[in-house]
Amino acid sequence: MTRKQKRLSVIAGGLAFLGAATGLTFYALGQKASYFYMPVDLTTASVMPGQRIRLGGLVEKGTIQRGQGAMVGFSVTDTHKSVKVTYTGILPDLFREEQGVITEGTFGPDGVFVADSVLAKHDERYMPKEVADGLKAKGVWQESKSE
Amino acid sequence: MVETGHFALVLAFALSLVQTFVPLFGARLNNQRLMAVGGPVAVTGFALTALSFAALASAYASSDFSVASVWENSHSLQPLIYKITGTWGNHEGSMLLWVLILTFFGALVAAFGSNLPATLRANVLAVQGAIGAAFFLFILATSNPFIRLNPAPIEGRDLNPILQDLGLAIHPPFLYLGYVGFSICFSFSVAALIEGRIDASWARWVRPWTLVAWMFLTGGIAMGSYWAYYELGWGGFWFWDPVENASFMPWLAGTALLHSAIVMEKRSALKIWTLLLAILTFSLSLLGTFLVRSGVLTSVHAFATDPTRGVFILCILTLFIGGSLALFALRASRLTAGGLFHPISREGALVLNNLFLTTATATVLVGTLYPLAVEAFSADKISVGAPFFNLTFGPLMVPLLLVVPFGPLLAWKRGDVFAVAQRLMVAFAAALLATLVTALFIDGASVFAALGVGLAVWLILGALTDLAVKSGVGNVAARIMVKRLLGLPRSVFGTAFAHLGLGLTTLGIVGTLCFGTEKILSMHAGETVELSGHTLRFVGLYPAQGPNYAEDRGRFELIGVSGSPVGEISSAKRFYPVRQMTTTESGIRTIGFSQLYISLGDEGKDGSVVVRLWWKPLVTLIWGGGLMMMAGAAMSLMDRRLRVGAPSRRRKQASAVTSAGLP
Amino acid sequence: MLFWVIAAILTLGASLAVLLPLAASSKGASSSGDHDLEVYRDQLSELDRDAARGLIQPADAAEARAEIARRILRLDNAGTAGGGSVGRASVAARLVATAAVLAVPLVSWGLYVKLGSPDLPSQPLSERLAKNPADSSVDELVARAEAHLAANPADGRGWDVLAPVYLRMQRFSDAAAAYRNAIRLDGDSAVRQAGLGEAIASAAGGIVSADAQDAFEAALKLDPANAKASFYLAMALAQEGRTKEAVTAWQAMLGKLPPESPWRGAFEQALAKSGSPEVASGGTTNGPDAGDIDAASSMSPQDREAMINTMVAGLDDKLRQNPRDAEGWMRLVRSYVVLGKVDQAREALGRAIAVFGADSNEAKKFTAVAASLGLTATE
Repeated sequence: MTRKQKRLSVIAGGLAFLGAATGLTFYALGQKASYFYMPVDLTTASVMPGQRIRLGGLVEKGTIQRGQGAMVGFSVTDTHKSVKVTYTGILPDLFREEQGVITEGTFGPDGVFVADSVLAKHDERYMPKEVADGLKAKGVWQESKSE
Repeated sequence: MVETGHFALVLAFALSLVQTFVPLFGARLNNQRLMAVGGPVAVTGFALTALSFAALASAYASSDFSVASVWENSHSLQPLIYKITGTWGNHEGSMLLWVLILTFFGALVAAFGSNLPATLRANVLAVQGAIGAAFFLFILATSNPFIRLNPAPIEGRDLNPILQDLGLAIHPPFLYLGYVGFSICFSFSVAALIEGRIDASWARWVRPWTLVAWMFLTGGIAMGSYWAYYELGWGGFWFWDPVENASFMPWLAGTALLHSAIVMEKRSALKIWTLLLAILTFSLSLLGTFLVRSGVLTSVHAFATDPTRGVFILCILTLFIGGSLALFALRASRLTAGGLFHPISREGALVLNNLFLTTATATVLVGTLYPLAVEAFSADKISVGAPFFNLTFGPLMVPLLLVVPFGPLLAWKRGDVFAVAQRLMVAFAAALLATLVTALFIDGASVFAALGVGLAVWLILGALTDLAVKSGVGNVAARIMVKRLLGLPRSVFGTAFAHLGLGLTTLGIVGTLCFGTEKILSMHAGETVELSGHTLRFVGLYPAQGPNYAEDRGRFELIGVSGSPVGEISSAKRFYPVRQMTTTESGIRTIGFSQLYISLGDEGKDGSVVVRLWWKPLVTLIWGGGLMMMAGAAMSLMDRRLRVGAPSRRRKQASAVTSAGLP
Repeated sequence: MLFWVIAAILTLGASLAVLLPLAASSKGASSSGDHDLEVYRDQLSELDRDAARGLIQPADAAEARAEIARRILRLDNAGTAGGGSVGRASVAARLVATAAVLAVPLVSWGLYVKLGSPDLPSQPLSERLAKNPADSSVDELVARAEAHLAANPADGRGWDVLAPVYLRMQRFSDAAAAYRNAIRLDGDSAVRQAGLGEAIASAAGGIVSADAQDAFEAALKLDPANAKASFYLAMALAQEGRTKEAVTAWQAMLGKLPPESPWRGAFEQALAKSGSPEVASGGTTNGPDAGDIDAASSMSPQDREAMINTMVAGLDDKLRQNPRDAEGWMRLVRSYVVLGKVDQAREALGRAIAVFGADSNEAKKFTAVAASLGLTATE
């Protein structure tokens, strides 16, 4: 190989590598990014059982049930619709009735959302940003409520 | 005292303006006097910033609630240590720490930069001054820590209890030392672009600064990871949280810079690339500051929310990143390219390293910013988490880790890959053996787990092989070998330590992810549970009162082989009344390199408690590896090569060494 | 005074840092070529060390040496063009120097006068607490009590005394914590449980949450005649939209209340409003707290109204002194509206917005609350 050919092949190799990395990145974004939904969104969006999503809303009052061992069931609501969620594990410290929560997981065939992580992430108002935005958009939550 | 601090801060801002413009004009007009202003101004500016920071810290320590930021983030009942660390546990104070470190590094350049060409030094100080001026203005305009309240409230609103922790107290300073350390590399790059030429001393200066910044950033990330691990009570050590990514991106780019700077220093090659990389690394640091400080992300770490701040930092970001890249586009063609090399050589290996690391940085960047872009341009909200990064970052890292042991053994310019492979034969065989042993003899080991163990062993032994080969193992007598080993340049040790650390971290990650076990159950007092061969007895739940919290402490006994308790682990639920917040204190016991981790959940109606237990094999190696990498960086810093002499002073000595060294 | 002296000294020091290098005679600078040469020499010596140690093959070493030598040669060819010229004092340079020297005092004093509060001394907490108790404000007395309780957290009586004080100071979450501590240390009592419930409800802006309900129910269990607890439990019913049941409960309680009970007013008020959405949103009608009840128990309606007016005026006063209290402002606006003093309500709203700035979240909150009360900011 001449020096020029060598250099060209190095550059081609580099570009092929970058191309592969870019392709992989976009494939992964399409496959692995999980969308955020509020319960009422689920009536219009088509979410397959087994598709990983994040479900956010408020923990509905009076729905927290302790099951076997560390299993917990509760409903996530945006006050229009609510979705049953089951989770096995320790709930975060900030998990409370009528407080914002984000769960991540998949829908089972029975329509119950099986969460593998529950986050009660919050800003100063004890409300996850996504949940607050979603509730505001749906006219449920007003700033004045959070004193 | 408080107002003195405020005044010092304003004065430091004024000096940073002088530091920006006077040396810059001096270099342009080639005026020695104007250029000479940079040094004393930089040192004075640092002294004033330090005074300002000390004033704020003393306001925090004495609970002076007439200072608004003290009132918002402190409480008189806090232990003194957390009062003091509270100084930088909030937005305003942390930004003051940021500029304190920035001016400190500027002062170091001023103090030790006498061996730099005058114009380069002037330009570096000017760029450093400009960054300082921008951030001083940011602080004074949007986040002034010295805003006063009159009359002063009598009690503060408490530091967020999650932040009341020593790990977190040390984590931000380290992180900032890293972030801001890269500002020096950035300033050197921009200075070189302004001058239109790269001095030979450029690389010699950029490399130690990269090492310092990288060392602290490594420490900061490792500490942050350990903090999240034990404080959040989820038992995870890395969440791919945007805030973590914000510090990880400059680390990856900085690692690339560290390696390309070697090529540049040794071979004067890759000059333009190194320069660009230095700009990008600091740009990513600025981006990290923006992501964390503007509140555009909501994540476990982000406590700041105020759009005016975000827009201000975005302006700073655009100014410096855009400005430096534009300058690069204009001037890069004027810089001369350096030496040539064969693809298979030390340089080639380092280029490969750079290719992988920058691509990995890009994937992390995409994964971090993509959700923001989607949210900005459509109504959808998405999150990009571990599954994405595992799929993209993982495949990029594995081949990189595979070739790491080859790098230091290849010769410069033109290497012999077969000779190197021969030398690595022992390491390779051992790695293969480790893989087979893991796959065959450890229950539940997947193929991935076995390969992971093999990879880690390969890295560790590869690093040791480097030392062995260079000290002549097998070729010379043991006595000479030891002598040669001790006589090796420190940078060789630095490389070996850092790569060894990488191997240890890999081993820790593989061990924890692939062999860790976990149990969640509800327990009554007196019950026992077994986890991976360890028996734990739940003694009971005991209430206790801390200085500013009340807690329920769950005590567990670790039962030994004989059936009697050999140790105690306790985990607690703490309640902080002022903020009405509950936190979980995890209970951790280290056994060898592994840890038992207990996290307490809610109390049931029948008096039972939900308990989550993890067995985390080799988990401490994750951070131990980080420490090892830091040690490597420190080792390299001590190398005599990095202490460049000024002209005339060391010339005689140097030539004496030269003649003595000739055969 | 001392501060200005320090500020002047600091400014002088900073100005000297600019001035001295400008005034100093400049030394001849070495050209950048010299610096490069030094680096190359160093590289050569390092190469020799490596070669001597056998870290590098002799052939490679020779090649590398040749390469460095080439760099040195190139340096010589580039010549001494880059030599630094000594201090040409051009007009431009003079201008820059003058501007720099002037900039330090002008920028710093100009900015500081705009931003700083030079007259405010530092106020470390220990110094403030060391003052004579007689000169202390209520806030400071509370702080003392808190310091005492921090040292003796098991003093149940202390918590019991402090809890209603917190409640009156509108530090509701502190009040709740104090009541909880008192209950934990000194045992249950109807008054404590009812106080706890009130604190929790007030902290939530008057909404009787599940936690508050639990507390009130506990209070009723201990003392079925506890007026506060029954009042709030009925309020909870009203807030859930079960207005009829709430009215029934209030009426039943009103029948049972002794004629001199201070709660009569609250019950009557609640009943009068139960038709309006006001009760349902739960914002306004907070019962009087324990201290006021004692005071109000022998009052005529006129006196009672006068007392309410004084309390509102007191709150107004407190907010003038300590204006960054969003919750207080909302309470004040509401109180004025309830008392029918619309003008004063509007004026308070205006002041509240002025304190936090028109664009702040608080201001938006104020406007929203005011709007819900049928009040608009006219300014």
